[in-house]
Amino acid sequence: MTFEEAQRELEQIVQQLESGRPGVEEALALAERGELLYRVCAARLAAAEGKVEELSRQPETG
Amino acid sequence: MKVEAIEYGDRKVYSVGAFNRGVSSWLQRLPTVWVEGEVTELRRSDRWASVFFTLKDPQDGSCLGVSMARGQFDALRLELVDGDRVHAYGRPELFEARGEFRLRALSLERFGLGDHLAALERLKTKLAAEGLFAAERKRPLPLLPARIGLVTGNDAAAKRDVLTAVTTRFPPANVLVAETYVQGPRAAGAVVEALGALCREGVDVIVVARGGGSFEDLLPFSDERLVRAIADCPVPVVSAVGHEQDTPLCDLAADVRASTPSVAGRLLVPDLVQLLERLDRSRAGLERGTRRSLERERRRLDGMHERLGRAPRLLLERRRAKLEQSAGRLRALSPKGTLERGYAIVRAGEQIVRSGGTVQPGELVDVELAEGGFGARVEETR
Repeated sequence: MTFEEAQRELEQIVQQLESGRPGVEEALALAERGELLYRVCAARLAAAEGKVEELSRQPETG
Repeated sequence: MKVEAIEYGDRKVYSVGAFNRGVSSWLQRLPTVWVEGEVTELRRSDRWASVFFTLKDPQDGSCLGVSMARGQFDALRLELVDGDRVHAYGRPELFEARGEFRLRALSLERFGLGDHLAALERLKTKLAAEGLFAAERKRPLPLLPARIGLVTGNDAAAKRDVLTAVTTRFPPANVLVAETYVQGPRAAGAVVEALGALCREGVDVIVVARGGGSFEDLLPFSDERLVRAIADCPVPVVSAVGHEQDTPLCDLAADVRASTPSVAGRLLVPDLVQLLERLDRSRAGLERGTRRSLERERRRLDGMHERLGRAPRLLLERRRAKLEQSAGRLRALSPKGTLERGYAIVRAGEQIVRSGGTVQPGELVDVELAEGGFGARVEETR
């Protein structure tokens, strides 16, 4: 799952929950899934190291 | 042409003239081609059969001597001055008397900015007709790229500016930099190679960055090969080439155009601070939303409970009301009610008298009223 997918689903879940439509069972299940998605996103950010690498120079042609 | 050598033992030796003739005849087999360069050292005299000038490559300074028949040259009325860009159509030639190599021009055309623009415009029209610049080809950039490819010149300020813009906004960004030529005749091919190399290394978006420059400096970025490579690139490409007012064709083929390095930064990576805030808001929303669902459910439950408490009393009242209603209707329908309105029931023996013909004069009948009754004798019947 990409960061975007996780974030989009998380925000959809929040919207659904805030509409107050889902019943308790469903709300709890949604919240659980939302928390998982939140952790996926946070972990994805934490995993990025922040590095700048140089690709070795192309062999000269011509 | 046959070139004769003198033989000293086993060594073949050519005279200078023979050598030059030999090279010259070999050169004459080469094709006639167009050569582009800047005119310098133009030498013309009415006493000479030819005019001479040097064509200079503005990119690397290479020089090529050119000669052209004076009559032809004059007829073109080009009014050339040093530095003018021309296209010369001609064949390589050796001036045998001096062993000097040069281009013998058969035709000469001024090739200025206007011609460049016209050529560019033709290419643009052609590529546009192929749909290379179509809006529906544009791909969205990843919100959070795992690795960004950067194609840039080796000491370019553009490189520094893009890296700064990206890492300031999003410190955890991973960038793979491919340094390459961004100017001169090799640039287009080198950038195409760099794009391929970055894709092979695995990046999910590429930015091509080059600072501003002259119209000609930016020409490689309108090169057909480069433009096609950008359009065909398997990952989205951001073009950050030149300044706001420049529109090299690579801008049109790229998925997004960034007018400055900081715009490129904004396009490439999310703002980490904002991203974290947004995530935290979402998380708070999870909790708030769940609480809201729970509260709503509790309210509904409370309502049910209350109704449950009220239900038996309601039921009793409803039944009593119904009973009253039935009693009323019963009363209205009973003979008692009718008698109270002033009617009487007449009986002869046990039979209720409903018509005059069923009794005889002198017969005794019993009359029942609302209150009590009396006996009576029939006087006459009708």
